Amino acid sequence: MTIQATPGLDATLSPARDPISETGRTLAELLAYRRCQYDATGCYAGITHPHVLNDDPVRAELFHSRLLAALIAGRETTRMVSASPFVREVAELAIGIYTPEGDNIAQSPGIQVHIRCMGEVIQWMIEHDYEHEVGIDPGDLFWCNDPTVAGMHPADVYDIMPVFWQGELVAWVCTVIMEMDIGAVSPGCMPIANVERATDGMRFVAEKVGTNDELRHDIELKIKNSLDMADIFLLDRKGAIAANIRVRQEICRIIDEFGLDFFKEAGRELIEEERRNQIARIRQRTVPGRYRNVVPLEFYMADQPVSWLPARKDHIRLVPVEMRIERDGALVLDFEGAGEWGWHPFNATPSGMWGGLAFSAVQTLAYDGRANLGSLLPLDLRLPTGSVLNPEDVRPLATASIWAPVIDVFSLWCGMVANSYYMRGFREEMFTYRGGSGLQMAGYDQYGTRRPLLAAPTGNFGAGATGVCDGLDAGGALITAEVDLGNTEIWECFMPYLDLGRRFEPYSVGWGRFRSGASIPTTAMLHRSTETIAAGVVGGAAEYILPNLGLGGGYPGGRRFNVVLRNTDIAELIERRAPLYHELGHPASPEFERIDGEILRLHHMPPPMEVNDHDILIASVGSPGGYGDPLERDLEALRIDLEEGLADPEIAENIYGALAELDPSRNEWEVDVERTEDLRAARRRERLARAVPVEDWWRRTRERLVDGDIDAMLLEMYQSSMKMSEAFTSEFKQFWALPDAWTGGVQ
Amino acid sequence: MAVSKDDLRDLFAGTLAWDKTKEIISGPKDDDRFEAVLELLQEQVRWPERILLPLREHLYIVESGGSRIVKCDCGHEFGDWRRNWKMSAAIIARDDIASMEEIYPGLRRPDPNLCEIREFICPGCGVLLDVESVPVGYPVVFDALPDIDVFYDDWLGRPLEDHQDCEDRTAEIISKWAKPLL
Repeated sequence: MTIQATPGLDATLSPARDPISETGRTLAELLAYRRCQYDATGCYAGITHPHVLNDDPVRAELFHSRLLAALIAGRETTRMVSASPFVREVAELAIGIYTPEGDNIAQSPGIQVHIRCMGEVIQWMIEHDYEHEVGIDPGDLFWCNDPTVAGMHPADVYDIMPVFWQGELVAWVCTVIMEMDIGAVSPGCMPIANVERATDGMRFVAEKVGTNDELRHDIELKIKNSLDMADIFLLDRKGAIAANIRVRQEICRIIDEFGLDFFKEAGRELIEEERRNQIARIRQRTVPGRYRNVVPLEFYMADQPVSWLPARKDHIRLVPVEMRIERDGALVLDFEGAGEWGWHPFNATPSGMWGGLAFSAVQTLAYDGRANLGSLLPLDLRLPTGSVLNPEDVRPLATASIWAPVIDVFSLWCGMVANSYYMRGFREEMFTYRGGSGLQMAGYDQYGTRRPLLAAPTGNFGAGATGVCDGLDAGGALITAEVDLGNTEIWECFMPYLDLGRRFEPYSVGWGRFRSGASIPTTAMLHRSTETIAAGVVGGAAEYILPNLGLGGGYPGGRRFNVVLRNTDIAELIERRAPLYHELGHPASPEFERIDGEILRLHHMPPPMEVNDHDILIASVGSPGGYGDPLERDLEALRIDLEEGLADPEIAENIYGALAELDPSRNEWEVDVERTEDLRAARRRERLARAVPVEDWWRRTRERLVDGDIDAMLLEMYQSSMKMSEAFTSEFKQFWALPDAWTGGVQ
Repeated sequence: MAVSKDDLRDLFAGTLAWDKTKEIISGPKDDDRFEAVLELLQEQVRWPERILLPLREHLYIVESGGSRIVKCDCGHEFGDWRRNWKMSAAIIARDDIASMEEIYPGLRRPDPNLCEIREFICPGCGVLLDVESVPVGYPVVFDALPDIDVFYDDWLGRPLEDHQDCEDRTAEIISKWAKPLL
């Protein structure tokens, strides 16, 4: 595969010299120097008195706009070249500009999780002396998708390109695209039944894969021999390379126009400026102090057909989260008490955790288009070594689903920051999101090609309520804020299935005075498939324990679930032109129960199972949290929900304490205001009659713990955290007044 | 952008017109928001104590006779702000199928063997103050312990008259409860 070199660019190409970075330093020296400067001054690159941007603000704005425009144009270029619906439909990509030492200056919209991760890859290359051992020259192409270097999972492939100006390395351009096929063990790019690294598929360990803007022929052959979807992968690379070249061209134009010194100094000042802005935002919008929450991670591995048998164990790990907002505006996240790592693909890594913090902090604090490394510099993560967030050695482990704990942790983190926004009066900034899981497949598609079959219409998640309005219905996937569902017809071209329904699911909602957005379940009927398996795909590891996402008296959304209908009578229904299955209906008596066939109710990690044409896969995500007491929900808002099918009379009465009826003459819903007021008053009295003092509940629960009368998985979970942390042990036993020797019966 | 008191009131009530709401969401944040909100909330409550910090829906940290306590807008008092207010609330713990199904029917229900839904209710007015969903046996979550003095001293630049150390004192409640057990 050849990418035409940019006309005129040759003028800027010259043989690499040693050293290739500014002021005669090697890249390694430059990196070490920058770190020293930061440690010594607390300012990025030692910039204690920014002046380049301040001296001429108009020029500075123009400069930043040109960088951002180049990145957005590069991202759109990729979408024009790529064939993958992940890129074209859902836009699972992003592109960034980095300093020579790997610090992000500017980032396109998209999956901004990679702002720091891609820079970590560059720094890894520098630390491993690529400058001398591998060589970094104009027109070089590097790939990395190895989470042991940096990143979120092997499906996210980084295309990295150095930018030279008159022989000096002045920047890097990096594009990330999520791949549908990375050669992993079935069912695809995010398998569950993989616990060892080899099952992750292809890993590129920051490898030089091309020179002179041209992919090496042997690498191209390797891809063709290693992937079922080699064409898609290579087209994505072509799109990424085209984007990188386009941005590189623009950088050269900017340097030509603004001057090299300005480019370098202003780029670094953008990072320092953003660091200061981020601290200013924290000090403007939050309140210092300590904030806490807890994340349970459920791993159901006992039935997985894994290659490493000790991995076959169901277990839960606890992740207590403490956020401290310090006097100086620094924000520290401490995970003391996190349980141990395990043999599964869901362990996080420090890089992955920084990725989660990056997109969460950017989308909720630093969303003004100037996000870069500076957005993260005031933040810190304390990740206990040996925990599920930071295994001692990631290299032997599969890493396909690092996303799962990351999303669970940072969705709750948004709620923690939201509590702080509330105190400061910025209730409109309150927000939560939630991870989702679903079903993926592998097998022969409608064209007879064997391949992974992962659809990722991530736009179907509802967003959490804010403190001033309901959450968005769908559109709540914070990982990539511009996400949408994509066109059904396009997904159907890529998958051997037909989409039977895309309807909002009212019972997915997190109830509250303001409710969360409703989510849209995936409902796919296999069509023209052959030898196909289905299994889970996990983007969040909380399942039977609802994530603690309610705000100010709101409830978290209900449990998500997967259902597979096999050996159904759908073919006959189609033949008779009878109604098919299109929506869930009431979750206690779901519509799918009227379909004749085998009904498999599954958790979020079902092992692979055989599926055939006319089988139906249902994956329903739960929404994040509602806000405020549901008995205070505005009745007009409720009436609109009823009109729009986002609530039913049972929800109105049971959850919102409101009595509503459909007026058949007008076919409109009416809420009886007077009777509702009476009912709500009665509900509050009922609550008080039913509730007990916390002291009574505490004694009862303590007795259960003393007697070991809670689920064995939970006892093992607590033991795991106790092994990891004396502080956790002490606080846990103190809270429940447990004897020092307490183990809950676990040896 | 500055937001008027009337708009703030309507914004929080969810009754502000969407175009204005959107403008506030998308616009630059106003530096004096805290003061404006404090003034609004002080007018809305029916008791005289000075609000130091709104803690969450219905709850405030107030100055009361030289102490700082958590108080509901109904007037119910939960005690020192450094002790988790939830320990002084009333609780409905949904820990079985029947009670969970009231909120999460059928497929949406969590597993009561693993999960507990704790509803913390104001003993004074019956309002639902917080819903906690955690593993069975997990200690009550102390969501927020604001450092009030650092906030007023360093961030707002107008120190409060007396300083109080910001330290978690929930253990004092536990000690009292645990006394008969020892």
